[in-house]
Amino acid sequence: MLEKFMNMDRRIIFILIAVVVIIPTLIPVSLPTTVSEPTQKLYNYIDALPPESTIIMAFDYGPSSLAEPEPMAKAVLQHCFNKDVRVIGLTLYHNTPTLAHNLMRKIAAENDATYGEDYVFLGYRPGFVQVILGMGTNIASVFETDYDGTAITEIPMMKNVTNYDQIDLLLDLAAGSTTGFWIVYANTRYNLKIAAGVTGVIIAQMYPYLQTGQLVGLMPGYLGATEYEKLLNAPGAGTVGLNTASFIHLLIIGLVVLGNIAFFIHRRREE
Amino acid sequence: MRRQVPLVLCFLFGMAMIVTQFSPHSLSQEIYKEVVSWVLIISPFALILATLTLIQTHATRIRRRTEHWRYSLVVFAGILMMVVVGIPLGPQNSVFEWLYNNVQVPMDATMFSLLAFFIASAAYRAFRARAFEATLLLVSAMIVMVGNVPIGDYVWNTVLSWIPWEDGASKSRQWILDIPNLAARRGIILGVSLGVISQSIRIILGIERSYLGGGD
Repeated sequence: MLEKFMNMDRRIIFILIAVVVIIPTLIPVSLPTTVSEPTQKLYNYIDALPPESTIIMAFDYGPSSLAEPEPMAKAVLQHCFNKDVRVIGLTLYHNTPTLAHNLMRKIAAENDATYGEDYVFLGYRPGFVQVILGMGTNIASVFETDYDGTAITEIPMMKNVTNYDQIDLLLDLAAGSTTGFWIVYANTRYNLKIAAGVTGVIIAQMYPYLQTGQLVGLMPGYLGATEYEKLLNAPGAGTVGLNTASFIHLLIIGLVVLGNIAFFIHRRREE
Repeated sequence: MRRQVPLVLCFLFGMAMIVTQFSPHSLSQEIYKEVVSWVLIISPFALILATLTLIQTHATRIRRRTEHWRYSLVVFAGILMMVVVGIPLGPQNSVFEWLYNNVQVPMDATMFSLLAFFIASAAYRAFRARAFEATLLLVSAMIVMVGNVPIGDYVWNTVLSWIPWEDGASKSRQWILDIPNLAARRGIILGVSLGVISQSIRIILGIERSYLGGGD
């Protein structure tokens, strides 16, 4: 019996996970959230920017991992548009331009933001380091046109933007190693302020940069998106996702605890 | 000669980039800007090379009828479809966008979502407190997991309300990330960075030549 439990058919676990994902998604539960310091720092930084400041938002995630960074992007874009902070969107991932472009257009439409004046999407150029370093000398040397093919010198909000000197913050929404590149090449070499919103699996890697001040703020996974939505008083996809994740985490913890109890009983019996 | 030229180029450009990194002189900065533009031109060729390699690999699989060679036909069908639509019509064309939004995005998201099922199953089977180190990892992981979601603090503040310490789950998680995690990560970063510096010096000086191929 005990051995049967320890070697539980994985299909039972799969069904449990499916149930725990589906039910809270269909019937959203509202759980209280406290805002962590890294998210609060990012919110405060953007909130303190004067109108007509410019930030870069790097959509460095692909369709496979959009569930976590996309709610962060929505929340920050909403905050920027409401504060009249201009946003330059771009990506270092080849399979993201359509995703990011559509998202920016959608949030801009919801917040009455105008393309070319309040936001612009530059698209994708190959190479991580090359693009980051190239933009430090001249953004137009890397992105001669925006994603629509308009020369960036003809875009009103880009008229006074040459390189990182005119950028107040770069927010990297990352599902991989790109934040490290932005820190090493844009922050260290050009003193560009960097913040990040990262997926759950890479949160732990970001803490040394946060402690040194190389990151001015950090949104950790679903939690970060939820916290930012709470600060904006606008619950969205992050809050729904985090509440669903809550139950999955509880299920996994429960399974691991039960597995360990069974393991100890089994070991004691063998002894 | 075939080996000397790349070695000399590597040495010259490596040294030039080191000098430009530390010298604020205008000439040095001009060289830096010039080299960065060259790199920007060179990097798209990596994409061409990657595409050619992909085509070559899958063409070989089809030609040799290796195991699951039929999947390689799917690769070609996918490439062909996106190229035929994407290159003449552009990425903002409605057909290209439809293919991207309704084929690539759901497939990518589905593949990644499957991880939740496999991780849960693997955690149940493998996450056992067999030794002290494994127990330490297990306990830390549990605390971070429970502190990462609001239900952790909710349970703490309701079930464990007799403990005079609010939001204990998220505070414990934060402590693990801020102290032991940070110390370990910094050690790893320093170690890796020193390794990268020493390896770069070896490459610039021509001691490490494996990038040239041929096992020298």
